[in-house]
Amino acid sequence: MNSLVITRTGTHLTVQDFGRFHYQHLGVSPSGAMDQRIIKELEKIIPLHHNQFIEFAYVGPSIKVKEGSVKVCVGGNCNMNIQKNNGTQIMCQPYKSINLFEGDELNIHNTIETVYGYIAVEHGLGLNPCLKSFSTDTKAGIGSINRPLKVDDTFEILEDVSSWDHLSIPNPTYKKETNFKVYPGPQLQFFTDQALQSFISTTFTISAQSDRMGIRLKGEAILSSESHDILSEGILPGSIQVPSDGQPIVLMRDIPCTGGYPKIAILKEKDISKISQLPPGSQITFDLQTIY
Amino acid sequence: MYFKGINSYGDRGMVLDFGDDSSKSISIEVNKAFSIISNLGLPLLNIIPSFNKIVIIFENSQIRDQNREKITLEMSEIKSQSHKSAHKTWKIPACYDESFALDLKLIQKLHHITKEEIINLHTSESYYTYYIGFMPGFPYLGDIPSQLITPRLATPRINIPARSIGIAKNHTCIYPKISPGGWNIIGQIPFDIFDLQNPNPSLFLPGDKVSFYSVNQKEFQQIQKKHFSINELVKEYSS
Repeated sequence: MNSLVITRTGTHLTVQDFGRFHYQHLGVSPSGAMDQRIIKELEKIIPLHHNQFIEFAYVGPSIKVKEGSVKVCVGGNCNMNIQKNNGTQIMCQPYKSINLFEGDELNIHNTIETVYGYIAVEHGLGLNPCLKSFSTDTKAGIGSINRPLKVDDTFEILEDVSSWDHLSIPNPTYKKETNFKVYPGPQLQFFTDQALQSFISTTFTISAQSDRMGIRLKGEAILSSESHDILSEGILPGSIQVPSDGQPIVLMRDIPCTGGYPKIAILKEKDISKISQLPPGSQITFDLQTIY
Repeated sequence: MYFKGINSYGDRGMVLDFGDDSSKSISIEVNKAFSIISNLGLPLLNIIPSFNKIVIIFENSQIRDQNREKITLEMSEIKSQSHKSAHKTWKIPACYDESFALDLKLIQKLHHITKEEIINLHTSESYYTYYIGFMPGFPYLGDIPSQLITPRLATPRINIPARSIGIAKNHTCIYPKISPGGWNIIGQIPFDIFDLQNPNPSLFLPGDKVSFYSVNQKEFQQIQKKHFSINELVKEYSS
């Protein structure tokens, strides 16, 4: 038996995977890792991740091997070290496999100029899926663990480490993008040409009130010429909705399943991961693509 | 026929448009299309019906575009398609006791009616399940008798108790679990309607018919104590 325990939670610590699908018509959000590029990369080093990744935002957790040994890999742009069971401290890097033995503690300090980071554990975290996914939606209380992780949460990993060989990949270099090409949203016609013009000419600032549900933007108010209250309809992550205060919200992975605000535009699917990594205070602009 | 056409929604979604209005007859067409498309075995990630739209999400634009024709064809034949409806008819026990009916007094005052009249009106109709949304398992039911039509609360409650029955505008609903919300609360049902342990987690599905019958506190508690599973509830309260 091998086991891992959370000794410090950092912030917004949850279990995530590639998403929970086929249940949105029953009011269940897709959820899943905010930056799906990273867990895809981690797959190269820990192929036996069993779709059970730990996601953190800004400040990472500390995890300690309680019993046995485990192989892990961290993804994202972050600082970390290992407090060995003999008292020594060693530095370690993301995207390199890490062998941890009884008493070893991995401390992930913070993400650098980004928001989200991930831990993959070989053979997973010993969890059972909930509605065919391991992802957590804390707001709806859905998930293998239906809440954020807390100190003393312990994961039992039945299988032993497959090999002590060190695996690594070069750190993926993600170019920081701040200009996003977006498609017209279903309620584009709710906005006058003037409002659309100001949507593409405004530099928006990402607000600190952003989370897994949505990234709130601050900037010039974008007002609908019709209504800010529509009949609720199904929505996709990446949709940019505009409530009556005119401050757009980019809906992220824990979307409300149906929404009643007009959607001016929608991001490309691959840009959802990119925008998730922009910390509050970042400035972004949009370009409206008119041709599909 | 209300169906207007199919529009793209971003690089991997599509919207089936049924116009700008909402009504039971529009929803019957929406839910027929939802049921037919859901059963085509298409490689889709999510299909979400609402009052007058169906949103379908695919993994990427290529898969979306490959399936557009098939869906267009289905929709062009939808009117003539005979569709064996799998929708259930539910009779749900409800307790309208003041301890649950947080807004009963407010509705009595607003419409100048008695508590008994409210109960009689609310239990008089078989409601149509427009769709499930807002939170897991939350059914939008309607339409309620015109004498009960009530605006949403001016200030939403922070915590509406789980299993509460609400009314707002011409709809009625059940809150599957504790939640903030703005519906007027008129009663409570004695069991859970959403169970994460069940592969079919939601008691109600779009298109189901739901009616309520009044039970007293004692009967309510007796049902509550049985801790029915979703499968048992199907046997006990639906046909």
